[in-house]
Amino acid sequence: MHERSLVQTLLNQVQQIVADDGGGVVKEIQVQVGDLSGVEPILFESAFTELATECFSQDCRLVLDIVPVKAECRLCGQCFEVQDYEFLCPACGTGPVEVIQGDQVKLMSITVDSENLVSGAKS
Amino acid sequence: MNTRVISVRRDIQAEQKADAAAERERLGRRGTLVINLLSSPGSGKTSLLEATARHWAGRRSMAVLVGDLETDRDAQRLAPLVPVAQLTTGGACHLELPLVQRGLQALGDPAVDFLFIENVGNLVCPASHDLAEHLRVVLISTTEGDDKPGKYPKMFRTSQAMVVTKQDLLPHVPFSIEAVTEDALKIQPALNVLTSCAIDNRGIQEWCEFLEQQYQKKIESVYEPAGNR
Repeated sequence: MHERSLVQTLLNQVQQIVADDGGGVVKEIQVQVGDLSGVEPILFESAFTELATECFSQDCRLVLDIVPVKAECRLCGQCFEVQDYEFLCPACGTGPVEVIQGDQVKLMSITVDSENLVSGAKS
Repeated sequence: MNTRVISVRRDIQAEQKADAAAERERLGRRGTLVINLLSSPGSGKTSLLEATARHWAGRRSMAVLVGDLETDRDAQRLAPLVPVAQLTTGGACHLELPLVQRGLQALGDPAVDFLFIENVGNLVCPASHDLAEHLRVVLISTTEGDDKPGKYPKMFRTSQAMVVTKQDLLPHVPFSIEAVTEDALKIQPALNVLTSCAIDNRGIQEWCEFLEQQYQKKIESVYEPAGNR
């Protein structure tokens, strides 16, 4: 259940970024999770529910954007969506392929209510 | 109410990945190939390391960092053969770089040829953590079924080699090396596939030769080990 440690890393970063940006109450955190990231969205969400309320307001929302896996063939350049984790180029069938999307856990944006300028703190 | 959106667009593990890359560079420069060994519990990581240590005795230097949730039983098995440090996670399902760095310090940061990290037995979480390894090796034993690659794709996608262990049990279990290889190569076509049996030493020489080749490819051809200066 490494989702818990990833969520903790995420929350530490959010606190730092919001503080550096002038502070405020965190209302929403948008995160991209790739299908090949090794993250189970349900476990990530439950870890967030548990940990986020310790440092942010009760109504701070997590918005997860689940991203499919895409790859590019290094031999023929074909870009394709990986189905059933088969990393074989559908065009030439031979080339090594590189994952270009889908293995990330990415903090995309943070929505902050700055009416109450208490740096990243619980309201 | 004044609401604003802060755009970030950053990998949340970017800092950890940068730390791992710096540690990998440091260890590579002074001539150490780091191998992260991953598998289910009981697939034979410790036995493979014992056989490797016996094979290289007096010819190649190696050290082992042993990750376990509890106990130091595996470390006790290896200690008579090679320098070893125990990394006890206290229940956590994977190792992270700071724990590996503490283990290295406990060993006195030895300039060995091969540093093995015996990860916690788990095919899920360890796949998401870079431990500064130059080589990621996944083990799969003949007793655990040949359908694992498709079930744990990230682990096999991010590995450079797969070792099928407990080869001696093949006549007794419904396991096909062809099937597991085909399954794994769909996920990682560049995967090196090896077989071994730590009890009768089958495949150990090939495994050690594979590691020597990786050493030449990733260390000797990239860095200038301190001993060569």
